[in-house]
Amino acid sequence: MAALLAQLLLTGLATGAIYALVAIGFSLLWQGSQVVNFAQGDFVTLPAFVMLGVMGYGLPLWVAMPVALLVSLLVLGVLFRRVLVQPMLRHGVMPLVIATMALSIFMENAMKNVASAEAYPFPGLSGGIDLGPLFLDWQSAVTLLSAVLAVLALHLFLSRTRTGRAIQATAQNPAVARLLGINVDRMILITFLINAALVTLAAVLISPAYLVKFNNGEAIGLTAFCAAIIGGFNQVRGAVAGGLLLGVTETFAATFGPDQYRAAVPMVLLIVFVLFRPQGLLGRREERRV
Amino acid sequence: MTDRSPVLELQSVVGGYGRMTILNGCSFAVARGAITTVIGPNGAGKSTCFKAIFGLLAVREGRILLEGQDVRGASPAALIARGVTYVPQGRNLFTELSVRENLELGGVALGSAAAMRPLVEAALDRFPILRQKARDQASTLSGGQQKLLEIARGLIAEPRLILIDEPSIGLSPLMVKEVFATLTGLRDQGVSILMVEQNARSALAISDHAIVLESGRTRLAGTAQEILNDPRVARLFLGGDAGDAA
Repeated sequence: MAALLAQLLLTGLATGAIYALVAIGFSLLWQGSQVVNFAQGDFVTLPAFVMLGVMGYGLPLWVAMPVALLVSLLVLGVLFRRVLVQPMLRHGVMPLVIATMALSIFMENAMKNVASAEAYPFPGLSGGIDLGPLFLDWQSAVTLLSAVLAVLALHLFLSRTRTGRAIQATAQNPAVARLLGINVDRMILITFLINAALVTLAAVLISPAYLVKFNNGEAIGLTAFCAAIIGGFNQVRGAVAGGLLLGVTETFAATFGPDQYRAAVPMVLLIVFVLFRPQGLLGRREERRV
Repeated sequence: MTDRSPVLELQSVVGGYGRMTILNGCSFAVARGAITTVIGPNGAGKSTCFKAIFGLLAVREGRILLEGQDVRGASPAALIARGVTYVPQGRNLFTELSVRENLELGGVALGSAAAMRPLVEAALDRFPILRQKARDQASTLSGGQQKLLEIARGLIAEPRLILIDEPSIGLSPLMVKEVFATLTGLRDQGVSILMVEQNARSALAISDHAIVLESGRTRLAGTAQEILNDPRVARLFLGGDAGDAA
């Protein structure tokens, strides 16, 4: 039984690590410019399709990945901010939220039109390693390791570099940041670019297991949104904790409970947190910190 | 030979918010290594003037000369790099960050954290109360300590000119005294200070020069003593006659 629980924990952490990457994006965008991006899940699907498209020309995954990253930085980073966020944010947070919902519907239908409703396989790693009674498959191991390295790199970037500290200052108080000579607009753009890079990494890691389908973003986006809130919406480390907690809970719920209710787990947890700990696992009231 | 040229000069500056014009040809000079205080009634354009100097407000006409060079339209980052620091009125700290982190962010536009470290240490040496509370969240400081932290953070960029807006607002008389003592100490070290202050009588007492703004124009300019002794100023802005002020 202990071995089964440990195995489930391992699998849940690997799934949760992907949720965490997407949830960090939610958190960063919120802190950087009060954007709650309901198209975030579709942001994961788009680079997956781009990679499949590039590989369709016979090119390997390692060539497809930088191409997808470039497209993500341009479309999900620069264009998303310039075309949608900047004009809509002037009208308040709610119109922007609705606009991101519209973007989600548009992206899903556009991807469906281009790639059909079929679920496409995505290259992943097979095999694994026996760790005593546990089996760690290479895909989960690479997923966990990649997510840990990405979170670590992001943490070091935000806390140790001049640009990272300027992003922190902007997230804390853009008006004061501007007084200190920080180019607030550039820092906000960088947070959008970081989000674009994170969703691309999430696409690489999640697609082998979930396949690539036009509406995959719905579940991923909703789960990551719940993870960000459960962890504490205004904390990157909260998003990591929320993602891992959701990944593990979902895996246990699917094993010991009816599988058809698995999708409800994030929402149930979200309701519990909203009722009993609205600031989330690691968040603090009224705090805004990267 | 001492440089007698003004550190900052405003020449017929016109500007405001949107279509509303607040500064109507504002002109004055700020002496080097001295405290110059701007006084005037509410709505005279004192704070707007500071925002215009610091590049936070579009200037429609006129020139803003910093050490003889026109800096009209320059960004805050460019002005900080040229030795100007702006300490606005109210509380302008990263309240969730520690005192030390706030100081470190004072030079974030200028250099790396490592390059800022000696400057942060120098600021903590200058303000022992801040060194005692270096690890505390900025929100836990008293109002006066927060203002000292803002001044200390401004000093990280090693400014030659400090624009400080209403430094005494909301502070106890004891803290006002400490803040003003800090400003005179900086002046004695050669830093030029341009201050807006509602507490005109106390501000003029530590100032070398003064400017009276009214409706976005300079009405009077002179030494602080001249302004303090001017019966019109005493009647309009100091709440009494010149005899009271002396």
